[in-house]
Amino acid sequence: MSTTSSDHPSDASLEQLLLRDDLWLGHSQRFTGRAAIATGHTLLDEQLLHQGWPLGTLIEVCQPQMQGEWLLFAPALLQVSGLIVLLNPPALPFAQAFIQAGFDLDRVLVVKATEKDPFIGCFTELARASVGAVLAWQPAEAISYTELRKCLLSAADGTGLCVMFRPFAAQQQSSPARLRLFTRFIVDGLEVTLFKQTGYLQKQQPQPLVLELPDHWKAAPAYAALDQKTAATKETSPRRLASVTPLRGQ
Amino acid sequence: MGLPSSRLWLAIRLPDLPLTALSTDDSETPVVVADKKRTVYVNPVAQRAGVQLDMDITTAQLLSGCEIIERDTAQEQRVLHRLSEQLYHFSPYIDRYCSPVSAQSGLLLEISSCLKLFGGVQGMMQRITTSLNQTPYGFLFGLAHSSRAAWLLSFAAYDIDGNETRTAFLERLYPLPIQLLDDYPAACESLSRMGFNTLGDIARQISHQSLRSFKKRFGHEFTELLAEIFNIDQDFAQNTLFEKPRDTYRPDEWFEDEIQFDYPITTVDQLKPAFENLLTALGDYLRKRQQQCHTIEWRMTDIYRRKASTTVRSDQPQSQWQLLYDLTLIQFENKELPFEVDALRLICRQTLPRQNANHLLDLEQHRRRKSTTADFATTIARLKARLGDAAVYKFGYHDSRVPELTQVAMALAEKSRQDLPDIYQQALRPAWLLDAPEIIEERHQRLYWHGYLTPHVGPERIIGDWWNAPVARDYYLATRQDHLPLWIFFNLYDKRWYVQGVFA
Repeated sequence: MSTTSSDHPSDASLEQLLLRDDLWLGHSQRFTGRAAIATGHTLLDEQLLHQGWPLGTLIEVCQPQMQGEWLLFAPALLQVSGLIVLLNPPALPFAQAFIQAGFDLDRVLVVKATEKDPFIGCFTELARASVGAVLAWQPAEAISYTELRKCLLSAADGTGLCVMFRPFAAQQQSSPARLRLFTRFIVDGLEVTLFKQTGYLQKQQPQPLVLELPDHWKAAPAYAALDQKTAATKETSPRRLASVTPLRGQ
Repeated sequence: MGLPSSRLWLAIRLPDLPLTALSTDDSETPVVVADKKRTVYVNPVAQRAGVQLDMDITTAQLLSGCEIIERDTAQEQRVLHRLSEQLYHFSPYIDRYCSPVSAQSGLLLEISSCLKLFGGVQGMMQRITTSLNQTPYGFLFGLAHSSRAAWLLSFAAYDIDGNETRTAFLERLYPLPIQLLDDYPAACESLSRMGFNTLGDIARQISHQSLRSFKKRFGHEFTELLAEIFNIDQDFAQNTLFEKPRDTYRPDEWFEDEIQFDYPITTVDQLKPAFENLLTALGDYLRKRQQQCHTIEWRMTDIYRRKASTTVRSDQPQSQWQLLYDLTLIQFENKELPFEVDALRLICRQTLPRQNANHLLDLEQHRRRKSTTADFATTIARLKARLGDAAVYKFGYHDSRVPELTQVAMALAEKSRQDLPDIYQQALRPAWLLDAPEIIEERHQRLYWHGYLTPHVGPERIIGDWWNAPVARDYYLATRQDHLPLWIFFNLYDKRWYVQGVFA
């Protein structure tokens, strides 16, 4: 019986495979040359491999419903050139808020694709066209690994920022996305957990980081707290032995 | 007066066009067509009841109880266009005449060069009459040496035998009343006051004192008209060396091509070469004519003459076939062929002149940075082909106090309004707006919307739209128990709480 080449893959083909840019080799720093765009959050930049959101690849954000996506991506999107496409957004993007944030509305496009197949088709089309950024919200129907890989490959053909928002439960599933994170609001701000970063081998449980909320979102201290504050100040002030009130007009 | 030209003009006047253009129902009830509250066409029944032209519509209605229909000049023009297409078989020189004063309109055909083909004037008239009899429009002929003279003679009922000479035409013109020159009302009235009653009176005056006196009194334009009617050559120095050129009618053109298959086609893949072939032919057609198109139609037929058609639309006009090919494939991508296709036809009816696109000389790639929808025209066209036009849009700001009314979806070609008033520059606004405000329940004396809510920041009172559906709301930023910040409001009219946005 003759041995076929498939039984013993040649070293050359393995080498070729290892040279592939999309093959994760633990701590390999081959990826460090990749283009990235600063997130606008110092804490997050420090955690990311290239000190920013990687471009030309798929970023996956798992979150329960709408959870701080603009807080997370707005600073980076403001630096992006070209179109910003919102694919299948969960609600209407409010024009007033976008103008306040400094977005050029002529560069923001909304594409409604509620079915899975058109959604994948549109995502790949947009990612390949190298639009500035594609922010896509997964439709109700679940997306398979193969379809996600299709999205990843199309994102690699382009140079834009490609983000896919997926439901909370998706973090338990396997995904080829190069960067995967989980976000949710907590008392102090937005908690961001990077649970997968290709090229970065996590040896322990990922530590979440907390991004601060904008000041104008924060509630004013409650009346009770104000009272306590006043009481505290009163206690610390030196007690006067006598008070003299100057009389006016004399 | 000389006889300089060998041209022969046939005027076809459509006296009842204002009515017949609107409906072909020739009823026995009185009907009047009105324009600016005056009658411009009166049918015979209404005429018998005493209604006249240029009468106030109230008077007309009182006199006859007639039905009043508003004149539709656009529809009349469409009819004239259709008739021009029909008469293009007889002569390539077709003018349209529409009186600026009265509701008279018709077509003027220069037929001298086509007489031999149709066996003389009589033969041609017979054929034209047969052709026009198939239409619902009434028509009257006038034949003369010039277009304007022919038009005037259409008001006189002369039999046309084809042997008329120029002198005969002039003799027929002389008894016509000068009121037929009512396109120039001031001149017509002035001539009438001076004692001119017929065109013959004017001709006699011209033969005694030339046209100059008319030119001095009524201006150049009116004199030109008289010269054309009476066939007078005003330029004595040149003496008819140059004739006024005839306008050649340009009939509607469209692209239509078909491929017949040797065997029945069952899959879209088998159709691809045919798509490419037909679209290449369309590309050639557009290139040669310097045209571009928005829309194409694919029509498939089978051996039983069943038909199915698919329209492919591009956002930007195309002069090349490649994008149309891609869009066609997207349209057919997930479709089953309705039957075994025997023939495929490509039709492109609407074309428009190719625009000379301006391209900036951009040595430093500034354009890349400022890229907009125009740079992704192809991608957007593909998305639209996949999802439909309404699924791809931009959004902009519209000035209003009511938050949901400030939001406007718009086509990509439109420019978004982005000048937010100063009072809203610092206002608390969420990134997401719900399609419609959703009612918040009250559970255990607390607000509940997928979780308990606690209002934190606010209120911001918004009052507006008092002329339509009055709005009075107090807006708050509230936090749900899972810490999601929401934009909620208390409606002061129905005393209920609603959630309208999500801060994200």
